[in-house]
Amino acid sequence: MEKTRPLWATPLQFVFACISYAVGLGNVWRFPYLCQMYGGGSFLVPYIIMLVVEGMPLLYLELAVGQRMRQGSIGAWRTVSPYLSGVGVASVVVSFFLCTYYNVINAWAFWYLFHSFQDPLPWSVCPLNGNRTGYVEECEKASSTQYFWYRKTLNISPSIQESGAVQWEPALCLVLAWLVVYLCILRGTESTGKVVYFTALLPYCVLFIYLVRGLTLHGATNGLLYMFTPKMEQLANPKAWINAATQIFFSLGLGFGSLIAFASYNEPSNNCQKHAIIVSIINSSTSIFASIVTFSIYGFKATFNYESCLNKVILLLTNSFDLEDGFLTANNLEQVKDYLASAYPSKYSEVFPQIKNCSLESELETAVQGTGLAFIVYTEAIKNMKVSQLWSVLYFFMLLLLGIGSMLGNTAAILTPLTDSKVISSYLPKEAISGLVCLANCAIGMLFTMKAGSYWFDIFNDYAATLSLLLIVLVETVAVCYLYGLSRFESDLKAMTGHALNWYWKAMWGGVSPLLIISLFIFYLSDYIITGTLQYQAWDAAQGQLVTKDYPPHALAVIGLLVASSIMCIPLVALGTLITRRLRRGDPDPAPVA
Amino acid sequence: MVAFSMRKVPNRETTEISHVLLCNVTQRVSFWFVVTDPSRNHTLPAVEVQSAIRMNRNRINNAFFLNDQTLEFLRIPSTLAPPTDPSVPIWIIIFGVIFCIVLVATMLLILSGIQQHRRKHKGPSEMEDTEDKCENVITIENGIPCDPLDMKGGHINDAFVTEDERLTPL
Repeated sequence: MEKTRPLWATPLQFVFACISYAVGLGNVWRFPYLCQMYGGGSFLVPYIIMLVVEGMPLLYLELAVGQRMRQGSIGAWRTVSPYLSGVGVASVVVSFFLCTYYNVINAWAFWYLFHSFQDPLPWSVCPLNGNRTGYVEECEKASSTQYFWYRKTLNISPSIQESGAVQWEPALCLVLAWLVVYLCILRGTESTGKVVYFTALLPYCVLFIYLVRGLTLHGATNGLLYMFTPKMEQLANPKAWINAATQIFFSLGLGFGSLIAFASYNEPSNNCQKHAIIVSIINSSTSIFASIVTFSIYGFKATFNYESCLNKVILLLTNSFDLEDGFLTANNLEQVKDYLASAYPSKYSEVFPQIKNCSLESELETAVQGTGLAFIVYTEAIKNMKVSQLWSVLYFFMLLLLGIGSMLGNTAAILTPLTDSKVISSYLPKEAISGLVCLANCAIGMLFTMKAGSYWFDIFNDYAATLSLLLIVLVETVAVCYLYGLSRFESDLKAMTGHALNWYWKAMWGGVSPLLIISLFIFYLSDYIITGTLQYQAWDAAQGQLVTKDYPPHALAVIGLLVASSIMCIPLVALGTLITRRLRRGDPDPAPVA
Repeated sequence: MVAFSMRKVPNRETTEISHVLLCNVTQRVSFWFVVTDPSRNHTLPAVEVQSAIRMNRNRINNAFFLNDQTLEFLRIPSTLAPPTDPSVPIWIIIFGVIFCIVLVATMLLILSGIQQHRRKHKGPSEMEDTEDKCENVITIENGIPCDPLDMKGGHINDAFVTEDERLTPL
């Protein structure tokens, strides 16, 4: 007797699962950076165009394939064509890499969350040096938030060659992170379906609270104005368009197999076209919403730093020239400086090197993305807010929800093909399969808790998924349109859902989206080839800042292996299927004719 | 105050106020001072004075109701108060609590899953026994089994009550 496939309890659970998977950390820490780099308000133009032209069609395609084939990525592509199960295998491999390094971010978020219950926050003060006369030197040169991140959290080594030992604190947090993920995926859609209500909705509550708090902060409007003033000339920059396309592509999580896995648990009559449009619009709106919050916080931090800098200059001048307290203010600073320069030229020239040029623009221009934004810039802003413990707890709780929501999709991409496979599921119950996958990922993830772990994390983050995904989605689109047949797929969908396929989707799947992906792929390849050696940012403890270094040969080998291991699955499995078919055709068919 | 501090230093117990000389007093309440050695008529080295002041900084501050930020001794770095270090770091406590909760929840889910599994396995095995019994009663004519309509898991349609029960017994 065949077990019926588990289903989502309501279509709403499916939508929430897709939203909580697609809305992840990238919406919070990558989109605001891109917006800032490529012209602020005018970046929204290429972003929305790419959403409509690339995001929605590809998302609909994946959901439709999953819902139609009702299997995980390997089984679904095997149904499309037996030579194409390599695409599914490549998706599983990429998802495996992603799971391994993505949960480390959750571990870091847990670490910060646990440290938020102290007064004062540990990243707001520098620790004292040996004879208690001042602060630790590394902390003086950098800032206390950078010191806490690089030294206390990561305990980072000066370069990728010196790997050091596994740090037990992040390792414990990683174990906890994997335990939480296991708890959520333990029962399959039954447990995942309930968890996604929280992981999809709660981050919006926190973002809204932060929006209200952020907009009422002093100096928030500076950040918002800076971000949203459109710089129209950036529209002519091809990089803006390429980054918009890339952001839409990776933000929706296409090509990992998670969307196919989620859709395979749908009722066949589910209207996935409507859901695809809803999910993609919500994902993009969340990015814009999160960037409003981020920029009001940026504005607050920049204004705070600018005013502290001014106060330091005022104090310095007051002390050097024995001026009356309160005589110097931010408004008359320039005039008084000119007066002092002319009245006491020799003394002024002594003091002059110490006077910093405070500029609000330069504070705002420090564009940061990724872990730097989440764990350094945001914490710096939070430590200056009133009741900073509360804001810190809320913020890291939101990061955890976003991260775990995405992890649910990532693990579903690996587990669905495994549980679909009759061989494996006959030996082990799905709880055991999930447990084994989590254990394997946790063990490999210990690599990222070593001293050089953050450098390996950057390698995985930048190279494990980018090229492979583009190729996977390209093969997927071409396979559905030309191998399986667009008209055949159209009639399948019509029989399944009852709606006819709009000409727009056909045009996009058949022509525009594959062309876009090919151009993105060519751009990335040429970018890698032109820049020659790949470089990374290493933390120099002596200087208290990041320095650029070249990757050593063994790191480059790992990068090549990462990219090759997923891409090579496609041709290798196709070749393997071809060979086994040829061999089988050689032997006579043993099955009796009924 | 300065004389008092110097008196705390061994070998300098005899320092008097008259041995502390002030100079360069400005309107902004800042001045330079030196401490002279009573017997030998020279000024004491700065390092000695600095360490003495450092040890008694708290008392000097309190005498003027000032603190390290408002009463500054140039070239005497203030001793900073270290942040309070609890014996068990707070984060481990919270980590332990959450870890235990998650572990217990996971165990509960796994155990209930195993129980459901066992119940499912007991259920189908009972059904298989009744099916075997049905199989034995299948009539076979000409080697072809007749379809035992009434024996194969037939559903009793409760809408049709048997006639006997309707009529009152005679």
